[in-house]
Amino acid sequence: MTSSTRHRQMAFVIDLNKCIGCQGCTIACKRLWTTAPGLEAAYWMNVETVPGRGYPRDWAGRGGGFDKGRPKPGREPTPEEYGIPFEFDYSARLFSGKRDRGRPRAAADWAPNWEEDQGAGAYPNTYFFYLPRMCNHCDRPACAEACEAGAIRKRPEDGLVLLDPDRCDGSRACVAACPYAKTFFDAAKAKAHKCHGCFPRLEAGLAPACVAQCTGRAMHVGFLDDGAASVHKLVRQWGVALPLMDGFGTGPNVFYIPPFIGPAVEGPDGTAGAAARIPDNYLASLFGPDVRTALRVLRAERRKRGRGEPSELMDLLIGRDARALLGHLQPHPSR
Amino acid sequence: MARQSRRNFLKAAGAASVGVGLAGPFSFRTLAATDPGKAYDYTSWEQFHRDQWSWDRKTRGAHLVNCTGACPHFVYSKNGVILREEQSKDAPMLNGVPEQNPRGCNKGECGTDYVYSPTRLKYPLIRVGERGEGKWRRASWDEALGIIADKIVDTLRTEGPDTISVYSPVPAVAPVSFSAGHRFAHLIGAHAHTFFDWYGDQPPGQTQTCGVQGETCESADWYNARYIVLWGANPAQTRIPDAHYISEAQLNGTKIVSIAPDYNSSTIKADSWLHPKPGTDVALGLGFAHVIIKENLFDAHNLKEQTDMPLLVRGDNKLFLRESDLVEGGSKNRFYAWDLKTGRPVLMRGSWGDEPGVKPAVQPPFLARNTLTFADGTLDLGNLDPALEGRYRVKLLDGTMVECRPVFELYRERIMAEYTPEKVAAVTGVNAGLIAQTARDYAKARPAMIITGGGTGHWFYSDILMRVFHFLSSLTANEGKQGGGVNHYIGQWKPVFVPGVAALSFPQGAGKQRFCQTTIWSYVHSEAYDGMDKVGIDTGKYLRHALDSKQFPLYPRNGRDPKIFIVYRGNFLNQAKGQKYMLRNLWPKLDLIVTANIRMDSQALYSDIVLPSAHWYEKLDLNVTEEHTFINMTEPAVPPMFESKTDWQIFRALAKKVEEAAVAKGYPRFYDDQFKWNRDLSTLSAQFTDNGKFDNEEAAAQFILDTAPQSKGITLAELREKPRRYKSNWTSPMKEGVPYTPFQFFAVNKRPWPTLTGRQQFYIDHPVFFEMGVELPVYKAPIDADKYPLRFNTPHSRHSVHSTFKDNPLMLRLQRGGPIVEVPPVEAEARGLKDNDWAEIFNDHGRVIVRIRIKPGEQPGRISMYHTPELYMDLIEGSTQSVCPIRITPTHLVGNYGHLLFRPNYYGPGGSQRDTRVEMRKYTGAVPTPL
Repeated sequence: MTSSTRHRQMAFVIDLNKCIGCQGCTIACKRLWTTAPGLEAAYWMNVETVPGRGYPRDWAGRGGGFDKGRPKPGREPTPEEYGIPFEFDYSARLFSGKRDRGRPRAAADWAPNWEEDQGAGAYPNTYFFYLPRMCNHCDRPACAEACEAGAIRKRPEDGLVLLDPDRCDGSRACVAACPYAKTFFDAAKAKAHKCHGCFPRLEAGLAPACVAQCTGRAMHVGFLDDGAASVHKLVRQWGVALPLMDGFGTGPNVFYIPPFIGPAVEGPDGTAGAAARIPDNYLASLFGPDVRTALRVLRAERRKRGRGEPSELMDLLIGRDARALLGHLQPHPSR
Repeated sequence: MARQSRRNFLKAAGAASVGVGLAGPFSFRTLAATDPGKAYDYTSWEQFHRDQWSWDRKTRGAHLVNCTGACPHFVYSKNGVILREEQSKDAPMLNGVPEQNPRGCNKGECGTDYVYSPTRLKYPLIRVGERGEGKWRRASWDEALGIIADKIVDTLRTEGPDTISVYSPVPAVAPVSFSAGHRFAHLIGAHAHTFFDWYGDQPPGQTQTCGVQGETCESADWYNARYIVLWGANPAQTRIPDAHYISEAQLNGTKIVSIAPDYNSSTIKADSWLHPKPGTDVALGLGFAHVIIKENLFDAHNLKEQTDMPLLVRGDNKLFLRESDLVEGGSKNRFYAWDLKTGRPVLMRGSWGDEPGVKPAVQPPFLARNTLTFADGTLDLGNLDPALEGRYRVKLLDGTMVECRPVFELYRERIMAEYTPEKVAAVTGVNAGLIAQTARDYAKARPAMIITGGGTGHWFYSDILMRVFHFLSSLTANEGKQGGGVNHYIGQWKPVFVPGVAALSFPQGAGKQRFCQTTIWSYVHSEAYDGMDKVGIDTGKYLRHALDSKQFPLYPRNGRDPKIFIVYRGNFLNQAKGQKYMLRNLWPKLDLIVTANIRMDSQALYSDIVLPSAHWYEKLDLNVTEEHTFINMTEPAVPPMFESKTDWQIFRALAKKVEEAAVAKGYPRFYDDQFKWNRDLSTLSAQFTDNGKFDNEEAAAQFILDTAPQSKGITLAELREKPRRYKSNWTSPMKEGVPYTPFQFFAVNKRPWPTLTGRQQFYIDHPVFFEMGVELPVYKAPIDADKYPLRFNTPHSRHSVHSTFKDNPLMLRLQRGGPIVEVPPVEAEARGLKDNDWAEIFNDHGRVIVRIRIKPGEQPGRISMYHTPELYMDLIEGSTQSVCPIRITPTHLVGNYGHLLFRPNYYGPGGSQRDTRVEMRKYTGAVPTPL
């Protein structure tokens, strides 16, 4: 057997302490894969402000995934929940003398990043952070499970969950089934579509666009079983990278370093207290109960660096050499 | 092997879920499709995606917009169509710090959009409707340039060259393009405009203190700090490619403090957050200074050696004690300290009155004077021990005795009396204990860095705050230290190779170029009302004095009106403070407004003739920044689209047309009295290209590299390979692999600072400074000339670079489809406003009607509208600049005091806009309905 037929799992780690919400990954992905007409509303990668309703709106409450191992019914998001993409007629205003300004042609009342920087809490004790979301390339992909046409498979060599549009029968079952709302439907072509992990780039030994173009240097990629890969160390060794809403039962392979840095809660007299501003319970609702341990480990390791002591974990997250974030992959094409 | 591997896979899958066994119904389809033994039928769809990610041409690309990123990219095209861009990720590594790569952002990764945008200018247009109406007729280049050339020649003849001006900002991002129009202006005698100061980004307080145009470390040096104060800076939004250094420093154990009124995208990651009332930062800074001095956490030796703190000030007239006070024929520009060892006043070396042993050959435009040829160690104290405290009686030339005190004692007295943490807490709203703790942490951490930006730089009294930043940094001896110092990031102002740009732009020398300070030009010619009479500051008085005494220039001279305004690669009108006055008063004075740009921006929309210029991916240019020290380039991925031309081609063609028109109209030459220059228009074209030497961008770019010592030896061929690092820099040496930290020539080599006193100068004994009460940097409340309740803040947005990308649909879909103003919940509730309602924001200067976003993290009493959306975007009326007047700070008009002098973009008024106040109410008129 060649190594290409071994079961391996490609995983992603997103460090929420380094993500600055710049949407560079969103655009990198969008410009590369979802520019065709009919795909405007689809963001295989998006960054949302949390706490918030997210993209598509209230995605986390639509069902899907598994309940005790059985598929749980889910609801396909409506076009309004994705956000009707804004279109603008600039040329009428700029070149034809039409009086009105270049306004969005649809009602501007929801969009993928509508709640940017809003968050929760009352001034000065407000809090928010950025949550990039992409297909989790799950161990047990609910999308694949739901697809009667057999169009979605988890490929063995890297665990990517791929959707074959030629086999897709347009049933939309996968869209309803994905609890993360990361399977999409292209009404123009009557086909589902989703993140394919930038497999053409992987074939060239190159990191996916969202990772390779992340200017915050917040994303890691690599094989989970590759002892040298930062994803392996962060997920398996240090246990500080956690899946998002694991309770959906799909076994996500995108992991998050929870936000462990931030100003403390402020007392009424303006002094800084001891409690973290983002409630632990809120983080646990996203990343599970293990988040408390992860936060403890991360804070302790950072304190070591504050004292000038070494910390392998902090070095992993700093990633001085960009290649250290990419496992076996490279940052740029040789061509 | 396969079986083993599969078992592991299943085991891992099972382990990751709770209570789910292999028998569970979930597993069937997935595993069937995943069987490694079963060959998968690869069909065409996979090839489709491979084809999506393919190209037949890869070129260097950069984004030639007013951005400090200067992010090296590759541009991928296929069959002559530009598909996309991606960071080239090949900036070399520096020692001990994380690498730069991949530098980029959300805008940079869709720079291609403007190539094919519906706002793209495709061919020359001539206005047929009213200015701003958007009614045009298509013209040929020949016709459009012919009309412009005729008008230029007629205006030269009847009105004089100083009624014509050329505006284009930020040479650093596109020095060849920048030089094109300036070279043209230079050769016909038109005046150029400043921009760094006009945008409010030039830090006058740093010039006052350090005698430089501005200086900062490259962002890689942030990683070297052990303590970072983000003071009015939000790098997560406004320095996106650099922000990772903050996070990485933090992971490396560095403490981050954010000082900002709002809980912003950078604050969320800080270790500590201080949220003073807007505009009270000077008080806060002096509260820190109070604690540092009181607890003796400061470095007295550094103050004695590097600053004016030991210099003696006369008790009788508050002026520095000068050599001319004590010595017959002594210099007015040499200053004394009191030497404790000898008990006598001693002249301190390196002042403006001292000359270096080796006369400098060049006067760099970014230093008040070239002090770099002074010997190393000039500032070294040797055996001296200058007093920082005490009162000393000195006998003047005329025999009178006068009591003198060191600057430090004067300043300390005020700081100890007026800026106790408790008093500062009352002014700023920041807890006194937190002030004291922050001061201690800052003073004890080494190195400690202050990073600042537009949040502090755009205030009327921003200069005072910058002086205080430097004071804190000097108190703690952080100046010139790796990972230390005061670093301001706003404005794209640092073409390190400026001598090359100047030589290309002004072939007869910058001394033979008319420069006009744009804030003054705008204020005067737009007859702007600033409301300063309400706070008792007579701007006109200071302005008249500055102009009459020729401390600052104004064109046209003698009260005439400007006639021709040529703007290229700049959105002048859209960005202009006092926008209403511009349109009402300045625009009608202009006979001809010409704009060259890649897209129809608001400036172009309100022009008479619009010229299409080549996109950044359609031409060759260089691209640099202060944020890093690498030169990168852009080159044509495709030829200029439609009928567009590069800026170099446009002005080369215009020079030819002016030449033809001048000959045809019998006005081939004229004498320019101001420069004693017999200008020959009949050979203009040959002068522009230097007889063919600069026929194209390539030759011009290589000339810039070759002419500047900072880049001499670097070739375009090398830049095509990868970005190259500068060979030298402004105020510190470039060391192999070491992040650039400014001011080391002074702080480390101990050569004099290029100020009047030769030291970092905090005391400015100039009449205007005395009149304003700011001879020392002390707190002045914000200018509340607008009698309205809400502070109006206009920060930069992550989704645009000033106005560029504001109209990009991809960006707007990640926002709310149009401009918004961020409103604290309490202010919205008080006015009956809900999220996404239309609100009317107004003051005496204008009105903007915009949708609101409720932002819980915004400080009550303030609203924030991301600055300068285009005038054609989704607002019902106006824009940010409708309510922001031009306010000129009198101290910025001082031009007769050592290092304080007018030089383009070196020192001058910015016009401020943070002090603006407004009221907001629910907009009840008709709102646009979606189609």
